[in-house]
Amino acid sequence: MAAATEVSVPDLGDFADVPVIEIHVAAGDVVSAEDPLISLESDKATMDIPAPAAGTVRELRVKVGDLVSRGSPILLLDTEGTLTEPPLIDQQEPPAQAVADPVAAQEPARRSAESALAAGTPGTPGTPGTPVTAVEAGPAADFDGVHAGPGVRRLARELGIDLVALSGTGPKGRITKDDVIAVVRGPAAAPPGAAAAQGGGIPEIPAQDFSRFGPVEIRPLTRIQRLSGPALHRSWLNVPHVTHNDEADITDLDAYRSELDAAAKTEGYRVTLLAFLMKASVSALREFPKFNSSLTPEKDALVYKSYYHLGVAVDTPEGLVVPVIRDVDRKGITELSRELGAVSARARDGKLDLADLQGASFTISSLGGIGGTAFTPIVNAPEVAILGVVRARTAPVWDGTAFVPRLMLPISLSYDHRVIDGALAARFARYLCHLLEDVRRLVL
Amino acid sequence: MENQTAGVLVLGGGPGGYTAAFRAADLGQRVVLVDREPALGGVCLNVGCIPSKALLHAAKVIAETKEMSENGITFGAPAVDLDKLRAWKQGVVRRLTGGLAVLAKQRKVTTIRGYGRFTSPHQLQVDLAEGGTTTVGFEQAIIAAGSEPLTLPFIPASDPRVIDSTGALELAEMPGRLLIVGGGIIGLEMATVYHELGAKVTIAELMDQLIPGADKDLISPLAKRVAARYENIYLKTKVTGVEARPEGLVVSFDGPKAPATDTFDRILVAVGRTPNGKLIGAENAGVTVDDRGFIPVNKQQRTSAAHIFAIGDIIGQPMLAHKAMHEGKVAAEVTAGKNSFFDARAIPSVAYTDPEVAWAGTTETEARAAGIEYGKGVFPWAASGRSLTLGRSEGLTKVLFDEGSGRVIGCGIVGPNAGDLIAEAALAIEMGADAADIALTIHPHPTLSETVALAAEAFEGTITDLYLPRPRDRPAG
Repeated sequence: MAAATEVSVPDLGDFADVPVIEIHVAAGDVVSAEDPLISLESDKATMDIPAPAAGTVRELRVKVGDLVSRGSPILLLDTEGTLTEPPLIDQQEPPAQAVADPVAAQEPARRSAESALAAGTPGTPGTPGTPVTAVEAGPAADFDGVHAGPGVRRLARELGIDLVALSGTGPKGRITKDDVIAVVRGPAAAPPGAAAAQGGGIPEIPAQDFSRFGPVEIRPLTRIQRLSGPALHRSWLNVPHVTHNDEADITDLDAYRSELDAAAKTEGYRVTLLAFLMKASVSALREFPKFNSSLTPEKDALVYKSYYHLGVAVDTPEGLVVPVIRDVDRKGITELSRELGAVSARARDGKLDLADLQGASFTISSLGGIGGTAFTPIVNAPEVAILGVVRARTAPVWDGTAFVPRLMLPISLSYDHRVIDGALAARFARYLCHLLEDVRRLVL
Repeated sequence: MENQTAGVLVLGGGPGGYTAAFRAADLGQRVVLVDREPALGGVCLNVGCIPSKALLHAAKVIAETKEMSENGITFGAPAVDLDKLRAWKQGVVRRLTGGLAVLAKQRKVTTIRGYGRFTSPHQLQVDLAEGGTTTVGFEQAIIAAGSEPLTLPFIPASDPRVIDSTGALELAEMPGRLLIVGGGIIGLEMATVYHELGAKVTIAELMDQLIPGADKDLISPLAKRVAARYENIYLKTKVTGVEARPEGLVVSFDGPKAPATDTFDRILVAVGRTPNGKLIGAENAGVTVDDRGFIPVNKQQRTSAAHIFAIGDIIGQPMLAHKAMHEGKVAAEVTAGKNSFFDARAIPSVAYTDPEVAWAGTTETEARAAGIEYGKGVFPWAASGRSLTLGRSEGLTKVLFDEGSGRVIGCGIVGPNAGDLIAEAALAIEMGADAADIALTIHPHPTLSETVALAAEAFEGTITDLYLPRPRDRPAG
């Protein structure tokens, strides 16, 4: 006899309430282990959930558009070769309907039970009487092999949590009571930091009925906005921000860039200022390693990173995303330009993977294509600094004897004042501008 | 008696039944408990665990005083007053069963004395102990109707010299020669009592070891001790016939070491217990009962009738009070709408013999049969200071670990108080402890409980109380 296994959504990392965008199987389909069952789209990353074992799809539990989280049921799979328990009724079957006065109602009760047996389901609606408290539906799965004590197993059953799909935070991965409770609090429950940021003793902005003042329309935030909002809020509240402004003379750099770009166009990619900013940033990070560090959770030490992965803010129709370009120190302008082009295209198409979004040690946000004179970028904590650039403009610059027209690039460097002080930031900014002013220094 | 109605009817007042009844009442249900015996407590309290433990304590006192003569303290031979001993045992039983009656009253659980049978899916008819019948209508029911001692057809049960465990606990008189058919836990416990009270004990066991099912290395210290004390122990031996003659019961044997026939004053039949599933009209309630009389249930104790649950001996092995009590709580909670499951990972078994034998979780025999990759840590009590100060050295503590996860999967202990020591292993299994968790937990010295930690240390290779010349190869960590 085949056993029906409930396949549920595995650990997706920090994501919850992810929409199902595609279902690859239907009831009755035979699947092999690792065959994709459904596709989910989360934070611009699309991922397939594979079949955990070979079998036949008995019943789908999701449809396209459903929001799922870790542990959400996907489908019932009849797996071959595993024996089930004796043919008893489903464990969550509610008790038979009760009879108000069982003695008086002997015959109806008997008929009820008989017809119930005939129908294969205990209890028949229509029997006079009050229903007995039904057993709440919960996980029928065995918790065999799950690393959780009996008290936690009971709690999980009472709350309807499938421990098989849960990873524990206790010693050696033991599932604790808190782990179970965290699941119940659900997708809304963000990491402790976010919870603190949302509450944190800060008075809420009172709700207002705007329609009192004129016609309004409510449009939901995009998924990206909903995800990035709490992160930005968290950073803003946790990091004491200072923004330092400077400007770099990029007249020569831009001439060089234009030459390269003209050549690149024929090969199908573009060379933008961003690639130079990245190279210059890596040089500055090497010179000032504190900018490539993070505070430890105890905030009593710095973690210095020996890698240079740079986050690059990309504007997309859905909102701002920050893909990460890895090992910028080992890549040249050409390679970076090609990679930037590819990653931006994928970002705009919503095809970034989770891995594309993780691991940055420093971030650059460029508004150069749009305008502005200066702005205050928010540090992407736990990084400690972020470089913002706006549009370069030609300005009269005093060269000692006369005003000459030069192409000046304003930069805005926001930093975590717990890690970096003002003088260091000024030196970092100057060093960066110095590199940009003479492109030859970049190759040193 | 007026007809009754119940939110939850519990049939049977043993440990499973009264636990279920009390738990259901505590969860706000209207509970009626039907039991055929004059006092609540079932076999366990009335004619099982409790009276046998009282007699085993008496046996232990006799054995220990006798043995102490080797160490400089000599008592005279005990004068056994069977009436007084029996009265003390009954006093203990009365105190406990009386306590249950009070607990039932405090919870407003209605207790009906009589033999209950289902007449429909929502009705139970009770032949009252006081005479007459009554009917109990119920919304949900929990069957806890237990089991009976198994009888053998070729042994004349009507002869008063043939007794079962209930008869043995009555201590009617001390037989000169007692044959115990069945070398399981019940037979061996009774052997311990009757031997110390002066009977010459012979045991006939069908299988090739005493307490079949337990690991051989755990049984061997017990087997050695009883072999030296009892008259005969016949393994792989079948009793093929019993002829009741005025001078005694003439028993025919078929076994490698047993004589063809021998004559005994009494026979205790302790070959197991049979469930009462066929005696309660279960079919009238739509409850499936298998050929042997067991009622199949799922992990929420639910029978084939969704509003009827079953717990304890009547649903299957092991027939143990503590298993029934746990199941009783699960069933009661499910009737109250809670999503409880029976998912225990270890049900300890204890033989209160001398020495005691206890085990929990996977036995080594089972692990080997199932092809589980396991490792074990063994600590012989000959190296335990506490054991030696008790005048005993034959004990053994063995802990089994899953090679993959490193967690405890089973434990077996033989030695005085093994039954008390096994609880730690059960907790370790439930909590998923590994060898280091046990070994690094400070156990008091000198105690027998230390042997559990020392067995874990033996597995870890960190033990200093023994010298293991070649510590077993273990994966790092």
